Amino acid sequence: MDLSPFETDNSVSCRLASQIPDVCRMEDCCLGIDEAGRGPVLGPMVYGICFCPVSKKEELKGSKVADSKTLTEAERENLFQKLDEARNYVGWALQILSPNTISTSMLQRTKYNLNALSHDTAIALVQYALDSGVQLKEVYVDTVGPAEKYEEKLSQRFPGIEVTVRPKADSLFPIVSAASICAKVARDRVVKAWNFAEDLGEVDTDYGSGYPNDPKTKAWLLKYLDPVFGYPQFVRFSWSTAQTLMDSKAVTVHWDDDEEDGEKAAQRQKNRSMLSYFSASAGVNDQNPNQQTHRFLTERRLKSLNTL
Amino acid sequence: MATKKKRTANVQNDSWVVVAADSVIDTQSPESDPAFVRLRNPFTDAASLYMLGGGDVQLYEVKVFEEDFHSWFVGQTVQRDGRLLFVTPMDPLYLILPYLIKAGKEGKFQPVDQVVMDEELPACSRLLSCTRSLASMHQIAEEKEVGSRKFHRYSQEKTMNWLKKKVERTVVALKKRNISVGEGVKSTTYVRVKLESDCHEEDYLRYAHGLISEYISEDLSKALLKHLQLPELTSPKETEPPSKKRKLSDKPVEAGEDYTKFNSADFARKPPKKMTAAQKTLSKVDKTGMKPMSSFFSPKVKAEKK
Repeated sequence: MDLSPFETDNSVSCRLASQIPDVCRMEDCCLGIDEAGRGPVLGPMVYGICFCPVSKKEELKGSKVADSKTLTEAERENLFQKLDEARNYVGWALQILSPNTISTSMLQRTKYNLNALSHDTAIALVQYALDSGVQLKEVYVDTVGPAEKYEEKLSQRFPGIEVTVRPKADSLFPIVSAASICAKVARDRVVKAWNFAEDLGEVDTDYGSGYPNDPKTKAWLLKYLDPVFGYPQFVRFSWSTAQTLMDSKAVTVHWDDDEEDGEKAAQRQKNRSMLSYFSASAGVNDQNPNQQTHRFLTERRLKSLNTL
Repeated sequence: MATKKKRTANVQNDSWVVVAADSVIDTQSPESDPAFVRLRNPFTDAASLYMLGGGDVQLYEVKVFEEDFHSWFVGQTVQRDGRLLFVTPMDPLYLILPYLIKAGKEGKFQPVDQVVMDEELPACSRLLSCTRSLASMHQIAEEKEVGSRKFHRYSQEKTMNWLKKKVERTVVALKKRNISVGEGVKSTTYVRVKLESDCHEEDYLRYAHGLISEYISEDLSKALLKHLQLPELTSPKETEPPSKKRKLSDKPVEAGEDYTKFNSADFARKPPKKMTAAQKTLSKVDKTGMKPMSSFFSPKVKAEKK
């Protein structure tokens, strides 16, 4: 697995793929989808697909690919090696969603949540397989959100393909297990050798599992919290762990789509607070009301200054 | 994410992001740095910030661009206020004018250095050393020379002509810059078939008058409007909204806009007629359970469910 395309710019989403085995273009194929790194506050989320001819399903079972979570890192590397050896009938493709992509998607003005991002990534990978000429007949997916809805969405998107969405699909279907191994191996490698785009000097790489409840991860997040910029791009800013730490330790930053309430927000929206009617000088402007600044200036947000 | 962000008080900063005319720093004498000064703003009659450059030779006004949610990255630092200061050349006559008008009420010719004085804002005397101040004083005042001394008296007529010229020049500038002056919002992609040139001219004049009014008192602005022969606009804001308070009366309270009444059967509500003596006595009788006479003539209806 050559991760260099992602490592040259780890701030974006990146696709890695194996060669398409010739059999897959000829015979009916099954495809498994799984993801790795959904929960951690650190590092990318990797989506993986694995496909092989339906006739080779049993052979895949023989290679003892199993749910990646039950395996050690060494075992996973080993199994990935086996999948690589079976390249004449097994193909795979990965979509690495950088932590920066996740942050910017989830925190943008029109929120794009993690489930939608996951679904779209999965769909794009299936489409990639179809575009590459893989004769897809069956697709197995480990679910994200309610299984029925997701299954319906995928079935509609890919008519003519039998879609099966199941929780725990990675332990039920060998092709999903294979996909999960590809995804997990890629994530492990990327996280281990993360290229920090920021100038942080010698980076302490002892960040633990990257999951929010890992004390090592928390300690690392605290150590690398910059009061102005927050975190390196390695951190998912949209995770509440990161956000609570920034809210308490870093400088407050205001955006114009922040939800505000109280008098200040009301004033900004040109609403008068109910309270203003009861105070002594009920909402009197500090300027003469007749003295309106000309619209040339107000349109350009220009004002006179009293003092610097 | 339901955290409430508290806005901390703006910390005083000692640096600003400024856009300034080249002439501000391009001074003949290197020892005279431009300086911010507080002078009386003729529009608000309060102190505002101005700048005097090159040994008080040129006056600049200071305007600030300020919008919510802006900050600067300056080199390796963050500046909290996203303000952008503009330092642009300004005619010092605008600032001298209020002093001259005040002194002119006495109707005497006076030396300008005695007129342009302000206890609160002593810097105003520095205005007189600007190259354009004394030389263009004749635009707004009558001049008399006695010996080597010059005396001035405010002239409304001259001032109006001077301001009119300012407005006309502003119109030229507005046209050159393609500034939308008409009422309402105009789209740049919207192409008008007919050019309404005559009403356009008034729009430009009015807009320019408004801009010049930013630099003069309200009274002068009104006088200038007359001088330009522009009718005063009556804005709808000035007309008071009808008072909400209703007068107390004996009449029964009724909703002002009750749309339901026109839909109901008693649409044609007649004023209560005066009752005859017989009707009056009848009205006092307990009629519960009695059918009205008319019901005996209408076709039989199924008994109402109670």
